[in-house]
Amino acid sequence: MVSVVDREKVLKALEKASPYGPDIDLSAYKPAGSVYGLDSSMEGLEESVEKKIGVKPGQLSYLQWGETALAKAMSERFKEVGVTVEPLAQALKKYELARRLAWKLIEPDVDKYTAHTFLYGREAGYFVYVPPGVKTPWPVYTCLSLFTGYDEVQHAHNIIYVDEGAEAHVTTGCLVPHGKSGGLHIGVSEFYVAKNAKLVFTMLHSWGEGTHVRPRTVVRVEEGGQYLSYYALYSPVASVQTYPKVYLDKNANAKLVSVVAGTGNGYYDLGGEALLRGENASAELVSRVIASKGSKIYTRAKINASAPGGKGHIECLGLLMDNESIIEAIPVLSSSKQEVQLTHEAAIGMIAGEKIEYLMSKGFSEDEARSILLRGFLAAEVPGIPPAVKVEIDRIIDYIVRHAFG
Amino acid sequence: MELRVERLTASIDSSEIVKDIDLLLRSGEIVLLLGPNGAGKTTLLSAIAGLPRVHVSRGRILLGGEDVTPLPAYERAKKGIVLSYQIPPELTGVKVSRLAKLIAERMGGEDLIGALSNILEIDYLFERDAFRGFSGGERKRVEVFLTALTRPRFALLDEPDSGVDLDSIKLIAEAIRFMVEELRTGMLIVTHTRILAERVGVEAHGVVLKEGRIACSGRASELLELLEERGFDGVCGG
Repeated sequence: MVSVVDREKVLKALEKASPYGPDIDLSAYKPAGSVYGLDSSMEGLEESVEKKIGVKPGQLSYLQWGETALAKAMSERFKEVGVTVEPLAQALKKYELARRLAWKLIEPDVDKYTAHTFLYGREAGYFVYVPPGVKTPWPVYTCLSLFTGYDEVQHAHNIIYVDEGAEAHVTTGCLVPHGKSGGLHIGVSEFYVAKNAKLVFTMLHSWGEGTHVRPRTVVRVEEGGQYLSYYALYSPVASVQTYPKVYLDKNANAKLVSVVAGTGNGYYDLGGEALLRGENASAELVSRVIASKGSKIYTRAKINASAPGGKGHIECLGLLMDNESIIEAIPVLSSSKQEVQLTHEAAIGMIAGEKIEYLMSKGFSEDEARSILLRGFLAAEVPGIPPAVKVEIDRIIDYIVRHAFG
Repeated sequence: MELRVERLTASIDSSEIVKDIDLLLRSGEIVLLLGPNGAGKTTLLSAIAGLPRVHVSRGRILLGGEDVTPLPAYERAKKGIVLSYQIPPELTGVKVSRLAKLIAERMGGEDLIGALSNILEIDYLFERDAFRGFSGGERKRVEVFLTALTRPRFALLDEPDSGVDLDSIKLIAEAIRFMVEELRTGMLIVTHTRILAERVGVEAHGVVLKEGRIACSGRASELLELLEERGFDGVCGG
């Protein structure tokens, strides 16, 4: 696969900024390199993983610290049910399938971040394969942690293939260890959902002050398949910019939910595009964002229908917690076929006084009323999220609500 | 117990809407508040409930002899004065079941959830966001349900029957009877129609509000009869 890529073209792409979000000078970052002091520092990291994304070390199938991939005990248990969870670098050596899939949905020269990952990322990241008809009995927990933060860049290249009729839950937590800040994380994710298969993907982001984040995700959902994604970001961040694309074949369905609490001087540019390419494909893109303390949040969502029978809905809702922050919602609908139903709803505002007053009339104090309303606002749901992951999402929402009112 | 309103004058945005109102509600009794649009019925209920947008400039509200006028809405609600909205706002993401649980836990109405949801036939709405995309009847039934879960000593129902089909009115009337009989709730109900009045008790007392003042009072059934014959201009003998 790698051999057919025009390396010159990729090198040129190192200069190619993303159309969205602040441009990052990649020369300011050095690769995460090898892990030193692993044994002594490991404990602290696992504590951070548990605290920040609620996953106990024993539950992890894959842990990447900086660019060092650590296969965890859980991946052995997955082997027993035929599910592969391995570091991608290793999978590329072992499996023809991994080689066939890598850099197919995302070309290395899309922008400077994909190019950087292709050229310098050493294929750190995870590979998950779920054979036909198999349903993962437990969620696949993966974790990507920056090592030191500061001037380090972490690359991750992830591939998930859920084969025909199979079903998988994958939860990825990304973080900087407690007390660290800065750094750049680039995640390139290529997800394949085969015919009548289902992938429920949860991504929980807990970055730190000064960290820049550039995930690049493309998903292909074949006929009758389903992709459900839940993304939560609840920590300060210098900037995050992502615009996942989901290609949907006939009768395929996708729902993408983003819940983002922007704070501080963070710049959050979060998008998503669903391309309804097959007959009767459907998609729902939902974002619920709150902005406080001077943060800037841009929510971009696009549904593009090019086959008849497509159905799509975009919902971009934003709450401004003060007058220093900014939210911009950009829903876009596009179709080249008459027989489609595409709709959108976008609204930005504050927590309505009328709603607070209503709850006060039922016995809640003003603060309690605000909390109930904010929690409700953030409670956008994705069907099929495993209970264990749901507990963690609830904990994150609790955290956001507790911190939202200063 | 009594809820007594004494010479109450209330304004919104410094415009006086209700003036010198005297009113008495007793536990387990129903008072119907009648009056044309713009008479100040909703403002009066909001003032009694203590909503922040209504300013009480004169008079007081006594609950069992205690002056509750200085208390904010939620303190009044905790003491048992609860407003049921005419048009409750849509609460995005706040499921009916969750709100019901929160209210019931807070106000001791956990044991009422099953009975009231049966009476009002709202089980199927429990996992929906409260009032979001509800029909007129669903909205009113859920609002009466949530109000009842507070175990109110005095419930202020603002047009629980407007814009509602007959079947829903029957259910709402049954819930009102439940509150009066089982919880001994005193009710002040704003209504425009006889349908609800006939179902919750023709013996109820009635008060007619016009231009912010009480124009007359008497047996609700008689007032409603006169109202049908003569309209609001003639109901008080004018």
